[in-house]
Amino acid sequence: MGSKNILICIKQVLDSRTVKFDKEMKSIIRDGMEGIINPLDCVALEAALEIKNKEGANITVITMGPPQSETSLREALAFGADKAILISDPAFQGSDTLATSRVLASAIKKLDVFPDLVLCGMQTTDSETGHVGPQLSEELDLPHVFGVEEIHIENNDFIVKHPSDDGYLETIKGSLPVVLAVTHELCVIRDLPLGSLEAAFTHNNVILWDAKDLGLKEDDIGFQGSATQVLNLYAPSPKRKGELIEGNSEILLEAFMKKLDELSVLDEENENQQ
Amino acid sequence: MKTSNRFGGIWIFGDYRNYFRNRVTLQLIAKAKELAQKLNTQVAVIILGDQVHQYVMEYIAHGADIVIAGEHPYLKDYHVEAHTFLLSQWIEAFQPEIFIAGATSFGREFFPRLAKILNTGLSADCIALDIDPETRLLVQKTPAFGGELLADIITPETRPQMATIHPGIFKEIPHDSKKTGKVIYPEVDLLPQDRLKIIRRRPQKKYTTGIENASVVIVGGIGLGSKAAFETLFDLAGLLDAEVGATRPVILSGWTDESRLIGQTGKKISPSILISIGTSGALQYTSGIMGADTIIAINRDPNAPIFKIADLGLVGEISTFLPLLIETLRKRL
Repeated sequence: MGSKNILICIKQVLDSRTVKFDKEMKSIIRDGMEGIINPLDCVALEAALEIKNKEGANITVITMGPPQSETSLREALAFGADKAILISDPAFQGSDTLATSRVLASAIKKLDVFPDLVLCGMQTTDSETGHVGPQLSEELDLPHVFGVEEIHIENNDFIVKHPSDDGYLETIKGSLPVVLAVTHELCVIRDLPLGSLEAAFTHNNVILWDAKDLGLKEDDIGFQGSATQVLNLYAPSPKRKGELIEGNSEILLEAFMKKLDELSVLDEENENQQ
Repeated sequence: MKTSNRFGGIWIFGDYRNYFRNRVTLQLIAKAKELAQKLNTQVAVIILGDQVHQYVMEYIAHGADIVIAGEHPYLKDYHVEAHTFLLSQWIEAFQPEIFIAGATSFGREFFPRLAKILNTGLSADCIALDIDPETRLLVQKTPAFGGELLADIITPETRPQMATIHPGIFKEIPHDSKKTGKVIYPEVDLLPQDRLKIIRRRPQKKYTTGIENASVVIVGGIGLGSKAAFETLFDLAGLLDAEVGATRPVILSGWTDESRLIGQTGKKISPSILISIGTSGALQYTSGIMGADTIIAINRDPNAPIFKIADLGLVGEISTFLPLLIETLRKRL
């Protein structure tokens, strides 16, 4: 077997502390905001780089997003990815996960070489759905494992580990290609190699595809291609009007015990023990 | 699938694995009953497994009007592709208008794939559900940006309207063995060959589900100052019948393991009482505790953001307060 072709789906996200949103469009304002690579997508990239270091691999990163997402692709190139594709078109705006996975799948199918391994972060820090990995696998008709925390590739097979909610760590085996949604436990992200960022910005080219390049129709993408609609987007009102007590430990203790009594924590405790 | 008048009924995925600790299915039955009243329809729980009779009876005792149970030896374990294969067929046949599942690791893995096969909308990890009285649509409230924003999501055209729901949000209806319901056993014959093989299942040492279900949770932050101080939280937890959680900096300092991590990249919890000790209140952490009924926070810095969301904020020295609290509780109990 030659070296593997690995494809990583990344998303540029905004720092959640500086986020602003458009009430009219019910969407996030991205203009003029600094974007970062979604942290779990960095984990996916790191996993791919480790495979590349060990046995060689050809790494392609793709992202669907506004033009400024290109900086995140450049950053991925600086880390050691070989090729980057920006899928961008104003018509993609408003895409839910159904439409997004459709767009990503059409780009993956357009590649010269179909990837052996498709990696993505388990979820993003912005919309936090965790849908795109599993839905992409359906769209590509590939098997999928969610929440992967260990990856081994052997010839044409993969062995991965992921936790199940009944407290077991499952070891799963299958044949490539596969879509894996990865989680933090997988690996620790390396530091950016010195000087690499500059090189990535000057030398590497980022390929740009729009809806037409991918042969996507209006009905497939954006608001029209989405089954869900955002009815409202709002900051939850801080419902707590708490009291603040400052003082020595005795004063704090009194307030604490009074609260426990109010909430009958200790009464319940006594009942349980009877 | 596009909507039509034939769609009716609320379906819940019967996630019976780890039954006694994972109560999300029962919580969803309770909420669905409430929604069903507004829609004048019935609540059905769908389960797939091998010999699941005991769970069928449990779901009826907890309020399900109907249980649809598919039995087959292969379904002894959860298989994503077998689940999506069967459920997509049954949805075609029964046409439920709403289908919800707990946002457990299996729910989060198979529900997006099922929604994709059905070409219908899905929202993730909802913290509230309601019915719009005018449109009869399911309004799905889901957090975004680490809980900074809430989105109300609807699925206007396609059916079923699908959502995964955060565990621990709704309260289950108490068990009542006198309740009756209808049970349907559809035939399960042909199953797809799963492309994945589970070759090993090993219990995880670090695993704790206690935290998600505990009614009192104590979360320690880096402000505790030392591993030894963090460990005294377990003494406090013993006295309050509580579980112990931790913030990301505590995990990074190696005071405890990742299974106790509370926050955006860890567990999201909704206990009755959350006691937050030595945590500044970074968004990454607080997004995991917004479901708590009451938050008590202790920190030496009066400007710590945690106090903005606390019901009771105590400003002072943890190193003297904590031992005093433990001692006082010991005497009192």
